[in-house]
Amino acid sequence: MKETTRKLKWFWAWQDEQEESWLHSMSQEGLHLVKPGFAGFYEFEQGPPVNYFYRLDYVYPKKDEQHYYQIFSDAGWEHIGTMGGWQYFRKEAQPGETPEIYTDPQSKIEKYSRLMLFLIILNPVYWFVLVISRENSTNWWFGCLFIFYLGLMLLFVIAIVKLAQRIKELKASL
Amino acid sequence: MTKEPKLTKYLPLTEATFYIMMALVEPMHGYAIMQQVEEVSMGRVKIGPGTLYGAFSTLEKERLIEMISEENRRKIYLLTDKGKQVLALQAERVKIMNQYAQQIVQKI
Repeated sequence: MKETTRKLKWFWAWQDEQEESWLHSMSQEGLHLVKPGFAGFYEFEQGPPVNYFYRLDYVYPKKDEQHYYQIFSDAGWEHIGTMGGWQYFRKEAQPGETPEIYTDPQSKIEKYSRLMLFLIILNPVYWFVLVISRENSTNWWFGCLFIFYLGLMLLFVIAIVKLAQRIKELKASL
Repeated sequence: MTKEPKLTKYLPLTEATFYIMMALVEPMHGYAIMQQVEEVSMGRVKIGPGTLYGAFSTLEKERLIEMISEENRRKIYLLTDKGKQVLALQAERVKIMNQYAQQIVQKI
């Protein structure tokens, strides 16, 4: 029975590469990801250090799921879990090599564009609630809700800007 | 009225897309394509699974490739006629560039 450890760490949507590095360093210490959890909770199992590289894809394969996972599996990537549209994969590497799931900037740009689109689509939901909240702003409860949603709106805007920056950097390298 | 002006909107193909389409002159599935591309490019061009899946989605949507069969959760794709035309156009461009490059390189 392998021991499991839980860790709490927050990564923003645009920090997928930092998350990948962190999971890699965990594996080098003998902690291997078993399940990515909601709101920053990760579940690890303890074992010997393994040179796993973790890569996160952002895609909703839906009905094409089996085909999608099979392509990764054939290429030596193990699917660990899904969190929203985030797909977690790992692969053991030989010393000196760094495995990648995206091997050209163009397809990487498409990944971040998908994520950005998702965030942009989700944004109007908050505008709607924001408007509703304002109507009742005399009530202190609705006032709090208003501020909370304003904060969320800001977060979305920051995420979209950060992702746009990332895409711009990748386009410059084309 | 030729179809050519419309098809040139797909050009230039990215290097990865070009190699994937070339592999799909024959029916082939995902991993076999990855191996073939690495082989014919002498190890220089590697196609990752994320890149490959993205290419499949885009190429299928644009009807440049189509799935002809499915075995064990692996989809086998093949170029459509439209795909073959686009590939031929790109190959022609590459050929012209290559001929020109040969001339210039001799002078350098």
